[in-house]
Amino acid sequence: MSDTRQLVERLPTDMGGQPADAIQRIEHAMAPWEKRCHALADVLDFHKIINTEEKRCGVEALGTEMVNKLSYYERWIVAFVNILFRKEILTPTELALKMQEVETARRQHESEPPRTHV
Amino acid sequence: MTELHSDHDHAHAPEDAGLGYYDIMETAVRELLISKGYFSADEIRRQLEVLDSRSPALGARVVAKAWTDPEFRRRLLADGRKACEEEFAISFYDDTQLIVLENTEKVHNLIVCTLCSCYPRPVLGLPPDWYKLKPYRARAVSNPRSVLAEFGTHLPEDVEVRVHDSTAMVRYLVLPRRPEGTESYTEDALATLVTRDTMIGVIPARLDGSQP
Repeated sequence: MSDTRQLVERLPTDMGGQPADAIQRIEHAMAPWEKRCHALADVLDFHKIINTEEKRCGVEALGTEMVNKLSYYERWIVAFVNILFRKEILTPTELALKMQEVETARRQHESEPPRTHV
Repeated sequence: MTELHSDHDHAHAPEDAGLGYYDIMETAVRELLISKGYFSADEIRRQLEVLDSRSPALGARVVAKAWTDPEFRRRLLADGRKACEEEFAISFYDDTQLIVLENTEKVHNLIVCTLCSCYPRPVLGLPPDWYKLKPYRARAVSNPRSVLAEFGTHLPEDVEVRVHDSTAMVRYLVLPRRPEGTESYTEDALATLVTRDTMIGVIPARLDGSQP
């Protein structure tokens, strides 16, 4: 029971003051999609579609398991999707279809022989 | 970033050729919103350029100016955003305030975002991964001296450590102390001593600009 009490009293992103390990000086170069995700976040903010606080709440709303298992930008894009669904800007069906389309196009591109080789 | 599990963010396979689930999701969301007219592809492209243009070198110029120009220093401490916009034409593309915290002989400032990863991006670029991970976020507020010690920073006991927790609207930048022995330095030479970590507050500015 004490396990679930922890979940109620501490949201997954509320870390201030918790016990934690030593700091590892981790720095990684962003993957291209991560950088695009960041630019997308900024543009969504400029257009008042999703602001910073909504984004933060959206990540928090993913719940402990997802917050812990997804990487930083994975959390962002999933939070955006949930918010866009809730605001009825996107529907789950159109996103699923579009993702299929993007994946198919990329797989086709992958399987094409390189054009630059003689 | 996975806070409780290790460094998941390191695991991104560069060879996945954009076929990752989240990579595809990002593209699908972006393309759908563009096709619906919420914004243009060009806005994303321009914002990518803005992100590329921001680095700690910008913040270093701000700090060096504050070290050499008392009038600018006064304006910077009064309103960080306005001073950066007016003096350096640094655009604050997000809707945030900038509060500049001056380190002194008796006060050392440290910035953190315990809830997420808020950071003075317009002047420093994107935060390092460790700034976004649990150990720094959790411990900076409860035991800042031990955090500083891990960065090789040991402050005398009579120096007060102030930790500033950033929010979606309020961002902080540390104005480190000017190292002794730099009286003859030009502003440009001073800027080379100012690293990202000195402006987060985890290390002091040093003569050689190096980290411990």
